[in-house]
This record gives sequence, structure tokens and C-alpha cells, in this order.
Amino acid sequence: MIITIIYLIFSFILECFMSNMFSSTFSDISYFTTIYTIIALVIIYPYFYNYKKYYILVLIFGILFDMIYTSTFLLNMIIFLIIAIVIKILNNILSENIIMINLISIVSIILYHILSFVILSLINYGNYDIILLINIITHSLIMTIIYTSVSYFVIKLIFNMFNIKQIK
Amino acid sequence: MLGRKKKMIPKKYVVVMIIILIILILIIFSFMLKGDRKLNPVESFLKDGLVYTEKVVTYPFNYISNKISEYKKLKSVNKDNAVLETSIDRVSSIESENIELRRQLDKLKEELNIDYTLVDYEYLNATVVSRNVGFWYNTITIDKGSYNGVEKDMVVINSKGLIGRIIRTSAFTSDIRLITTSDTNNKISVHISNGDNNLYGLINNYNYSDNLLEVEGISNTKDVTIGDYVYTSGLGGIFPSGILIGTVSEISTDSYDLAKIIKVVPSADFTDINYVSVLKRKSVEE
Repeated sequence: MIITIIYLIFSFILECFMSNMFSSTFSDISYFTTIYTIIALVIIYPYFYNYKKYYILVLIFGILFDMIYTSTFLLNMIIFLIIAIVIKILNNILSENIIMINLISIVSIILYHILSFVILSLINYGNYDIILLINIITHSLIMTIIYTSVSYFVIKLIFNMFNIKQIK
Repeated sequence: MLGRKKKMIPKKYVVVMIIILIILILIIFSFMLKGDRKLNPVESFLKDGLVYTEKVVTYPFNYISNKISEYKKLKSVNKDNAVLETSIDRVSSIESENIELRRQLDKLKEELNIDYTLVDYEYLNATVVSRNVGFWYNTITIDKGSYNGVEKDMVVINSKGLIGRIIRTSAFTSDIRLITTSDTNNKISVHISNGDNNLYGLINNYNYSDNLLEVEGISNTKDVTIGDYVYTSGLGGIFPSGILIGTVSEISTDSYDLAKIIKVVPSADFTDINYVSVLKRKSVEE
């Protein structure tokens, strides 16, 4: 459990750090941007036997994302929860290997952006269009694959090192 | 068998309940995002904590990159020095000119009854600590907050021009909404300077595919030429007058062919903002 929490915190801080390294604006989106916390949620899911604990972590990091990064209320928490349910469904359907984990990560990131786009457009937060959504999604793919692949091997290695099969 | 049957809620009621729940959530989101609400103490504490954690984490990386850039600068120091030596002779004449201009400005302000111009502001320099996390909010966070005297709606600039305004502050951090946000609350009154002509308009939209701000409300566009400078007009109360926003790049009409739209290239590079200045009004004693 501690390893997953440390990994989640690391990914969470990485959001802030990487946003400075590869800054993005609507007109110029970097190819090396993604939502690291969501990828971390994808990577840690297979190690959870007790899903209740997993969902508690999802809620906590959703609230933290709301409070610290976007200054919103419940928005990211709900999006993270929906993504966690989708991660569960996809994990039940797909086998656990690096390609499938990458696929789940990509689907999760796409879902995050689509949900953000739909909700923020519905409440008239800004004038977004579908081209911007497609741009953001396509620009997120490279970093999503890189971070998922690296995390998959590192977390697997750490869990093997400590001989942990699943978190009960 | 004797146990009571569970009462099932009819499907149509479930659907109605879900729709009501979604509407309620959207209303909550709408209030929370539109109101530029104040951060509560927990949010403020967590935000400050993260900024300092990030500062500690990034310190070694920043130290190395600073050393590299210092070394690069050192290479061209002789050249720069020669240029500076020639311009240093002009400093005293510029200083005296400055004093005279200041005197004239004070006199004009008194005559025209103008309260604040750019010289009535002090600059609080700040470093950008995070940018646009979550992509959709178009905000950046700086490392100065209410403890440093930053308040909501203060104007933020950098060396090239207008950046945005403060929308939220915690004790040691502040969020800035960039002017490249096309929301309805982000209209900025501008004036276009072309010789003796001063035309007033409103930044109404940001076209992110072309990175252009769109100015509307100017009827006589004949006096506007490509390359004219666009400044804040000072009308509206938030932005003081005279801050450079950008230059005119195109004059077109809207989709109904009714109103003229002036497209402006922002002078600031929004992908490369590391340091900014918050404009604070000077206190009366000063």
C-alpha cells in the first residue's frame, strides 16, 4: 500500500514539475504532456485485491487534484471516479501486459479530456471546440505511452523486489 | 419465502433521478468555477505546501540549468560590455529627461483628473511554479500570495506585455487567468494607437488555432493599420491604461459580414513565461 501511495504522490507532484518543463497553452500544446496521476491510477489497479482501498485513493487524489491544481470543487473527483470504474471494466476484459496497460492509459486520458471538455462546455466555462479537444488528446499520447511503459516496469520491479503479489 | 419482497424503484424514476443529479452537479460546478471563489484554509495550506515541495524537488535541476545559462552568458559578456559602455554615457541625460516627463505627467494627470497610470503601480516580481495543469483551465500559478500583498484582480505583466489577472490567492501562491482565455468574463477594454488617432475597442475572443486575440467594437477601422500597437485603455477598472497587449495583424469582418474584427498578435509569449510582475497600487504615503 505504501509503495502505491508513494508512487501516486510522486506522479501527483510530477504534474506540477512537468508542466514547467513542457509548458502548454491552447495555441501551442507540447507533445510531452499528460495527466500523470491518471496513469498512476491505471498502473496500480492490478495490484489491488481490496477495491475499496483503491477507490478511496482515487477519491483522495481526485479531491487533491481539484484543490491544488484546478481550484475546482468535486469536478476532478467525479471524473477520476468515472475513470476508475472504466479502468476496472477494461482490466476485467483485457489481459495484463504492457500493451494492454498502455491501451487502458490512453483510453483513460482520452476519457479525462472528453469529460472535462463536455462538463466545462456545458457550464460555459470557456469557448472550447472539438479541434482543441482532438489537439489536446493527440498531443497527450506520446507522454502517456512513455510514462505508462516506464511506470509499468518500475512498479513491477519494486513489487517483485518486496515479493508483494497484491494489496489486501 | 416468508421474507418481505424488496420494493423496486421503477426504471423511469431512476432515469429522472440521475438526470436531476447531473443537473445539480453541473449547477454546483457552474457556481464553483464562475465565481472565482476564495480558497478555504485547507486548500490554501495544501497549495502552499505543494509549491514548496515542488521548489525543493526542482532546486537541483534549476541550479544546474542556471549554471549552464550563466556559462553561456559569460561567453558573450565582453561584447555586451562594449555595448553597455557606449550607452552608459546617455544615462544622465535620460535621467533628467525622466524627471521632466514625470513633472509633466503629474501636471496632466491633475488637469485631466486621472487617478492611476502605470507609474502609480509598484512591481512585485514572482516566479511561475506551475502552468495549466489539467489543460482546460488556462491558468498559471506564481509563488507570491496574499502574504506578499497580492489580491484578486491585480494585473500581471511580463517584460513583453500583459499576461492576465489574479483570480485566486493563497498565503504564498496566486492563480493567474491568462488573457488567452476566451471566456465571457475576460473582456478587456483596449485602445489602438495610430499616430494621433486613438481607437477604443474590446477584446472579445481568443482564437487559439491562430494564437490571435480578437478586438471588436471599433467602427472606423480605416484608421487602423497592420502593425499598430494595442494597449489597455484603463476603462473597466481592472487593467490600468498603457500596458502593451500586442500588435494588429489582420482586419476582417465577422461571419455575418456586419462588424469589423481586428486580430491582434499577443506581444507576450505564453509558452515561455518564467517570471512575471504583479502590479500593486502604490499606497498613498508613497
